[in-house]
Amino acid sequence: MFIDINKVASLFKFDQYDPLLFASSFFLFLFLGLLLILSVIKERKIQSFLLIAFSVFFYYKASGDFILLLLGAGIANYLIGKGIYRNESQGIKRFFLLLGIVLNLGVLIYFKYTNFFIEIYNSALNGSIDAWDIIQPLGISFYIFKALSYIFDIYLEMHEPEESFFDFFLYLSFFPAILSGPIDRAGDFLPQIKNPLPFTNSTIAKAVFLISLGLLKKNLIADYISINFVERVFDEPSRFTGVENLLAVYGYTLQIYCDFSGYTDMAIGIGMLMGFKMMDNFNYPFKAVSVTDFWRRWHLSLSAWLQNYLFKPVQIGLRSFRIWGNAAAIFVTFTLCGLWHGASYNFIIWGLLHALFMIFSLFTKDIRDKAAAFLKIKGTWFHSFLKVFITFHLIAFAWIFFRAASFEKAETVLKQIITFFQPEVFPQFVDAFFPVFILMSIGYLIHFLPSRLELLAQSFMERITIAGQAVILALAIWISAQARFADLQPFIYFQF
Amino acid sequence: MITPEFKASILKELRLDDYEIKDETLANQIPGWDSINHINVISAIEKDFSVRFKSIEILKCKNIGDLQNLLTSKLAKK
Repeated sequence: MFIDINKVASLFKFDQYDPLLFASSFFLFLFLGLLLILSVIKERKIQSFLLIAFSVFFYYKASGDFILLLLGAGIANYLIGKGIYRNESQGIKRFFLLLGIVLNLGVLIYFKYTNFFIEIYNSALNGSIDAWDIIQPLGISFYIFKALSYIFDIYLEMHEPEESFFDFFLYLSFFPAILSGPIDRAGDFLPQIKNPLPFTNSTIAKAVFLISLGLLKKNLIADYISINFVERVFDEPSRFTGVENLLAVYGYTLQIYCDFSGYTDMAIGIGMLMGFKMMDNFNYPFKAVSVTDFWRRWHLSLSAWLQNYLFKPVQIGLRSFRIWGNAAAIFVTFTLCGLWHGASYNFIIWGLLHALFMIFSLFTKDIRDKAAAFLKIKGTWFHSFLKVFITFHLIAFAWIFFRAASFEKAETVLKQIITFFQPEVFPQFVDAFFPVFILMSIGYLIHFLPSRLELLAQSFMERITIAGQAVILALAIWISAQARFADLQPFIYFQF
Repeated sequence: MITPEFKASILKELRLDDYEIKDETLANQIPGWDSINHINVISAIEKDFSVRFKSIEILKCKNIGDLQNLLTSKLAKK
């Protein structure tokens, strides 16, 4: 058989349009090879070198020369961590901390926000500065936040700095998490390099379950309803009735959850096969009974980061102002959380909305409690339903601004829902978008079923043989490939 | 060791009749001590014992035992 060497070599070269997505056959092929080598070479030190090499290749394939930025971030934060820890003087410790914050945020702001600031300057002050030619390195928001958490935790004496540069660099560059998290804390990740998760049947079963589930969530549900329905409505909301716009909002709410949590499920599953248990990132977010509760269930690794290093310091600093201190801390945290998601007004509005919902809930807690007691619904099934229903719609409302290309588009979506609802169109929607309707129904149904079903599914995976697990995984891969009639869609969260 | 006075101050602020608090107990394990209520509990302890913590001292506490030690060291300096 003739193999074109140049063609094979080009597979390994940087191509921004062809990153190593978990669901691609090339990734699966390489990853299986890596797993085979890891199963032969048991020495953890050599294993971690192999993981670094694979991580470097994985990031290079997606981001090219920016691998040097990742390496630079690794060296700088490794040294800063030592600088903070080794110096006795509080002043010098603070100097190193500040240096770390300035360097990390400086890099993040330069790559991510420079052009946004130019845009603000131009529109607010009638300036005419041209946009700079800056490409945003993939995953930068995730690994810079990991690096920051490492130096913050050393400063807060949560753990000592890592002695081995290579181990620290593996933490920063670990390929399953490099492009979209989870943003694990070094204190949780680093000990696992020396003490890996045991490679038992239960670990394999859980990993295969997560990877299969992730594939189906991302490639079947999220991508399918996105391309076939959500995208079309959000591109031109005025061409659709209110009922279709509302369904597109529900569709996007499900899509972003399946897309992001599906990718994270795969990342966590892949990590487990190499001996790492990364932190859970989602916990049935739409079952939340308040917006605050939503943030205990959505993108947990980011919300924990924001809570530890932004919310708490602001809140503690302003504690003399009591409830107002909390309100200010929520406001600052979620405005910046919005901005973290991207350099655009849409994301800031989205973050602000979340902040406003939570601040409103903070100030009305007593009134709402009294009202529920007066209506005799407190603690009832109906009360829980009402809380989940209202929270879900507040979250969905905020997603409109997150998803719409512009503020005007978001306004049109809302205008169509309010002034041109046309419920009689619903049967036509079901008819015209039948697979979308089925996938959305299944997606929401599974989400709202009792969470112990997931545990049941996992224990089922444990009880079947490896061959059975392989069949399930192969089936999940096959189904996602079928759903993916177009080229792989880039993952929504890569751009953040 | 968690002192009875320290425990009483926490329980009073959280309106709990009783809850077993050990050194290694985490704040969020105690019913009602969530991220929002955090400042109320800290402020109540400061008021009850007439001490003032620095922000960084609070942020460094990993568990209730650390907070107890911080309080003890503040009281010793009084």
